[in-house]
Amino acid sequence: MKKKIVSVLLSVFMATGLLAGCGGSSKNSGSSSASGEKSKKGNYDMTLYSINTTDPDFDDWLKNVEDATGLKINVIAAPTDSDTRQQKITTVLSTGDSSVDVIEINDEMSASFKDSGWLEGLNDSVMTDDIRGQFPQGYLKDMITDKSGNIIGVPGYIGYLAFWVNQQIMDEVGITSIDTKEDFMEYMKAPSGNGRYGYGGSWEKTYSHNEIAQFVNMFGGDYLDWTNPKNKEAVQFLHDMVADKETPIDQIADKYEQMNPKANDGKYGSWFMWGLGTDYEKADMLGADKIHMAMIPDFSGEGKRSIFTDSWSYVLNKASKNKDASLKFLKYMTEEGGMEASYKAFDRYPARADVAEKVVPDSDPAKEIYSRYASECDVKGRPMLPQTMEFITDTGTIFQSCMKDEITVDEFCSKAGEMVDKYSK
Amino acid sequence: MNTKKKSTKWIVPWILILPVVLIRGFTTLYPIIATLKNSLFDIKVLSGVKKFVGFSNYVNVFKDPKIITSISFTVMFVVISMIFHVVLGVGLALILNMKFKGQRFLRTIVLIPWAMPAVVVGMAAKWGFNNDYGLVNDFIRRFVPAFQYNWLINTGSARAAVIIMDLWKDLPFFAILVLSGLQFISGDIYEAAKVDGANGVQSFFRITLPLITKNVMTLCIPFTLWRLTTFDLVYSMTSGGPGEDTSLIAYRITTEAFTNLNVGYASTLAVLLFIVMAVFSFINMRVMNKMDN
Repeated sequence: MKKKIVSVLLSVFMATGLLAGCGGSSKNSGSSSASGEKSKKGNYDMTLYSINTTDPDFDDWLKNVEDATGLKINVIAAPTDSDTRQQKITTVLSTGDSSVDVIEINDEMSASFKDSGWLEGLNDSVMTDDIRGQFPQGYLKDMITDKSGNIIGVPGYIGYLAFWVNQQIMDEVGITSIDTKEDFMEYMKAPSGNGRYGYGGSWEKTYSHNEIAQFVNMFGGDYLDWTNPKNKEAVQFLHDMVADKETPIDQIADKYEQMNPKANDGKYGSWFMWGLGTDYEKADMLGADKIHMAMIPDFSGEGKRSIFTDSWSYVLNKASKNKDASLKFLKYMTEEGGMEASYKAFDRYPARADVAEKVVPDSDPAKEIYSRYASECDVKGRPMLPQTMEFITDTGTIFQSCMKDEITVDEFCSKAGEMVDKYSK
Repeated sequence: MNTKKKSTKWIVPWILILPVVLIRGFTTLYPIIATLKNSLFDIKVLSGVKKFVGFSNYVNVFKDPKIITSISFTVMFVVISMIFHVVLGVGLALILNMKFKGQRFLRTIVLIPWAMPAVVVGMAAKWGFNNDYGLVNDFIRRFVPAFQYNWLINTGSARAAVIIMDLWKDLPFFAILVLSGLQFISGDIYEAAKVDGANGVQSFFRITLPLITKNVMTLCIPFTLWRLTTFDLVYSMTSGGPGEDTSLIAYRITTEAFTNLNVGYASTLAVLLFIVMAVFSFINMRVMNKMDN
C-alpha cells in the first residue's frame, strides 16, 4: 500500500512538473518571442550575416553604416570555420529562410549559389550601369554574374593573389627585377639550396588550386580547358621546379598558416599570396627592403600579365522581407562612404578603382602596386565550377600526386579535364 | 477485479517512460530513418537535385576510388590502433598498478592527453610533425643533425602519424580502464601462485591475462566503434591528405555531407558504416557469450 502511495505521488509530481515546466516555458518563451519579434520589427530594419564581427573595429564600422543609412542593423556572426559557415549559409538560402537579409559570401560560395535562384539580382537597383564600370570587370563577370547576366552581389573589397618577393634575397643574389619568364627562372635557381627555395607556396589540396590556376594563366592557358597545351606547359613547369629543388615538395602539407612563417624566415624567395601582408607586418618583415609585392612576371613575352582577384560580396537573400532596407545598405556599400568605412575598419582595399584613388592614402604601400595590378594586368576571378569545393579538392589531390611523381603530367591533365566535365554539371 | 488490475498494470510504466521514448524517438530514430531514406536518393543541395535512385548510391560506393582509399585506411587505422591499444594499454595499466612513489601523480597526469579535444590535438600535431618547425624532427635532429623529413606529405608516414596521435590521445584512458579491472584481482591469488613456484611471467599469463581478458574485450567494443567514427583528428591534422590517403570513412562522410553537400551519398556511407558497426558489435557479443559459457 505504501509503495502504491509513493508511486502515485511520484507520478503526480512528475506530471505536475512536466505541466508546470511546459506551462512556464511556454509563458516565458511566449513573452520572449513576442518581445524578440517586437524588438526585431520595432528596432531593426534588416539583418546582416557578417564574417567581420570578431574584428575589434566592427562596432565602429557598424555605427558608421547605421549613421549613414539611417538603418538599425541586426548582426549575426557567421561561424569562423569555413565548412560550417558554408553549410549554414546554404541551409539559410536553400530553405528560403527569411531571418537573414544580407549575407557576406566568398568566391567559392558565389560560384555555387549564383545560378541557384536563391539570390536577388542587383542590376537595376544597386549595381547600376553607372556604378558597375568602376568595379573590376573580370571579377564581376567571372564571379558574381549569373547565367542571365544579373549581378548578384556587391564586392566588399578587392584583393589580389599578389606576387611577393623577399628583397633581401634578391639583393643577395644580385637580381634587380623579375619581369619575364627567364628572370623568374633565374631567380628560382639563384637562391635555392640549403633549405632555401626560389619559390614557395601552399599546396595543401584545398589551397593548391590558386597557384595552379595562376601559373596556367601566366602561361596563357585556360584552367577549364585541359586540352590546351599551355596548361600542360604550366604544370610541367611547376613539376620541374620541384624536381630541380627550386620549390619544396614539403609544401603539399602547407596552408597559408604554414607558408607565411617560412616566408618570414627567409626560406622562400618568392610566392603568391592574398591580402596586404598582415603576417609579414606582424613579423616586422613588410617593407620595400624586406618582403613586398611585385609586378606579376610576363611569361608570354608579349606584355600579358594575369592576376586573380577575390572578394567577399554582400548578397541579398531572395526570401528577404526587408528588401528596401537591404538595398539601402547594399547601395551604401557601393559608395565611397561605405568603402572607406570598410577600409578604415577592416583594412579592406576598396573594390572601386575611383574610390581607392581617393580613399587610400599614398603612404599605403599597397596603393601603388594595386593600381598597377588594376591597370597593367588582366584581372580575373578564379576559375570555379558549381560543385566548387569538390572540384578544388579533387584537382588539388591529383596535383599533389603529380608533384610526387605518382602520376605523370599528361595523366594529370587528362584527369583534370575529366573533373572539369564532372563538376560542371 | 484482479485480472483487470493486471491488464492495466503496464500503463503506468509506459506513461512514466513515454517522455524519454519520445525524446529518443525524435533524436535517434527519426535521424536513422531519415538517413536510410536519404540513402536511396541522389540529393545535391547546391544543384537542387533530389531524385530517387534506389540502390545506385550503394553500388557507386564500391566503385569510388576515394571511398576505397578511405575504407582501406579506416581498416588499417582501426586494426593497428586497436592492437596497440590492447598491447600498450595493458602494459601501461600493469605499470600503473605497481606500487611506487608518485604512482598517484602518474595516474593523474597520464590522463591529460585524453582530456584534450581531438581538434586541438590534431592542430598541434600538424605543427608537431612539420619538418621546419615541428618538435618531432627537432627532437630527432638532436641525435641526427642533418635529419630532414616531412611526415605529413608521404602516405605511409602521414598514416603512421595519425595513428600515433590517436594512440597518444586515447591509450591512457584505455589503460586506466584496464587498471580498474586489474585492481579487482585479489592479491591472495598471486600469493598462492608464488607459493606454488610461479614466476612473474607465469603469473601474468596464467592469472592476470585470463582474469582481465573479458574486461579488455568489453573495452574493445566502444574503443573500436570510436575508431570507426573518428574524424576530428584527421580533419584538423591532415584534412585527409596527402591526397585522400588519410581520409577515414567518418571524415569522408562529413566531407560529403557538409562540404560537398551530397546528402544522399553521405547518407549511404553512413548507413554502411552503421551496418559495419552493428555487425562488429554483434560478433563481439557472441564471442563474449562463448567465453562466458
